Amino acid sequence: MKRVVTVLAALLVGGIVLAGEPCLTVGMIIGGPKDDAGYNQAQYEALMTLKEKMPCVEILFAENVPEGEAEAVLESMIQQGAKLLFPAGFGYMFPALNLAKRYPDVIFMHPGGYMLADNFGTYFSNVQFAYYLLGVAAGLMTKTGKIGFIGGMPIAFVLGNCNAFHLGARAVNPNVTTYFVVTGAWVDRAKEVAATQALLQQGCDVIGSHLDSPIAVAQTVEAAGAFFVGYPSLAVQKFCPNAWVTGLGLTWGDFFADIAQQVLDGTWKPAHIRKGVEAGFITLGEFGPRVPEEVKKIVLEYKEKLISGELQPFAGPIRDQEGNIRIKEGEVWGPMDMGKFDWLVEGIVGSPK
Amino acid sequence: MSWFLSWISGAILYAAPILFPTLGEVMEQRTGMVNLGLEGLMLLGASVSFAVSYLTNNAWLGVLAAAGVGLLANMVYAWLVVKRNAHQLATGLALMFFGIGISALIGKPYVGQMAPTLPKYAVLGPTSLIFRYDLLVYLAFFLVPVVWFLLFRTRFGLRLRAVGESPAIAYAAGVSPEFMRFFVAALAGVLAAVGGAHLAVGITGTWSEGMTAGRGFIAVALVIFSRWNPLRAVLGALVFGGAVVLQLQLQARGIGVSAFILDMIPYVLTLLVLLIWGRGVRYVAPASLGRVYFGTERG
Repeated sequence: MKRVVTVLAALLVGGIVLAGEPCLTVGMIIGGPKDDAGYNQAQYEALMTLKEKMPCVEILFAENVPEGEAEAVLESMIQQGAKLLFPAGFGYMFPALNLAKRYPDVIFMHPGGYMLADNFGTYFSNVQFAYYLLGVAAGLMTKTGKIGFIGGMPIAFVLGNCNAFHLGARAVNPNVTTYFVVTGAWVDRAKEVAATQALLQQGCDVIGSHLDSPIAVAQTVEAAGAFFVGYPSLAVQKFCPNAWVTGLGLTWGDFFADIAQQVLDGTWKPAHIRKGVEAGFITLGEFGPRVPEEVKKIVLEYKEKLISGELQPFAGPIRDQEGNIRIKEGEVWGPMDMGKFDWLVEGIVGSPK
Repeated sequence: MSWFLSWISGAILYAAPILFPTLGEVMEQRTGMVNLGLEGLMLLGASVSFAVSYLTNNAWLGVLAAAGVGLLANMVYAWLVVKRNAHQLATGLALMFFGIGISALIGKPYVGQMAPTLPKYAVLGPTSLIFRYDLLVYLAFFLVPVVWFLLFRTRFGLRLRAVGESPAIAYAAGVSPEFMRFFVAALAGVLAAVGGAHLAVGITGTWSEGMTAGRGFIAVALVIFSRWNPLRAVLGALVFGGAVVLQLQLQARGIGVSAFILDMIPYVLTLLVLLIWGRGVRYVAPASLGRVYFGTERG
């Protein structure tokens, strides 16, 4: 018996030696399933791109990790040798910060966080700015002049996306009204369907959303023959082939590989990294079969203007629903202002609370 | 007016998945069994129906498979409670956690997948967006008078209720409490799982972990609210379905109502019922509810 164990142990060690030492061990945890055609899939795909670009990297990965268990799972990854960790859910910020204090030689990159430490940085895409493009597309596609937006929670980033959606639509179609509905959960498929139906019955014919995964919304819109714009993963297109106008996908693969390289080279510095379409942090998807050439052309023009910086979606004057000026004439809100929205733009029907 | 109609239409749709488990639980409690495992049974039904619908390309086969699995799972509950004299609440909770876990395992490969859903039939003509339901919705409401008739207008129902009042006396009158409880548990298992299946392949066309979002517990609350009567249970289910839809429709009309407050409605109603009809509830509740029946000495 003892001999068998010894042989097995020798084989195991041999196996590891044969496979070669990984140049870097990278860990990631996500709060949902990795194939949700949404936020979690976007994070996971970025990690897979990193692995593809840097085959010497060893990957540790765990999905469906509750916030309360994040610290333990991340710590076990550190004990397995992880030197770069992606706690890839907004709620993991404080558990990860705690660990960052205890393990100063491990680097943490958190999506959307607002805290920094010597070994703790953040990243995210300038989603709100890109969402303006979906608004342009929706404004051009709507026939009823009513477009709908479904949010999971009424937080600043969701309100910002709805505002951008509305501002984009108004830019090309001044008569558009946007209807905003909150489900009260990042994932509640039954409620998402009910919310979609409420918007469709209200007369909305283009629907956008900010949820973990809008699969159920996309299918409901498809069945009703209306239009859908996708976010946060382009994988949702297959659920609504006819309703699909276009969409936004969070695409961080190249960036993750850059970060891993910086960690290897020892050049990594903590920072709040926020980039948009211009840097490939977020990608405008292909257009659906029912989108006219002219609409495609206009949307792509706006995309070029956004990339060149000529277009500033949040340039004042912008008024809220009560008519109060929230962004003054000459004032421009940038990426780090997106957490400040607790109001909705004039012309949106719905409550920001 | 069209606003009112679309509200009613939505209320009916979202009442259906909760009506199935509620009807089953009414029958179970009428034989003296409290089953807190409904949430687990619903999740099991949802994951199995979606998986089978995906694999066979037939949503009805999915519903059928869910019904079968729900039956088997609730047989485990019934066996523990009836044969092993296990504590009903503890067994029910165990069944719930089992259902949550196993449904996540079964559903894992089907997250983010597409599967066929049940075809919808509109009452008001083929183009209407409202009153457009799959057959399970019609079935749920059809079952309400059927269960009521079974419970209160048949000899079988009388025996069933007798077991819930006093298994010993029912036994003396020639009714087998064990058989009754197994039989009703089988029905309740099927109903709860079909309710979950309706969420997965009827309403949403997706599977996501924990997608029943507490509906199994709302069903238990509705049983108390209905005072063990299927006809009143419909009212409760409609109030719940109506609350879900109303909140979203009000938002779409620019009237802000907290989603969290409306989510509490079914529970608040149940508490109110207990508060107002407190004595009455105790009076109508099956006398042997929740008690372990150790059997009667056979001569």
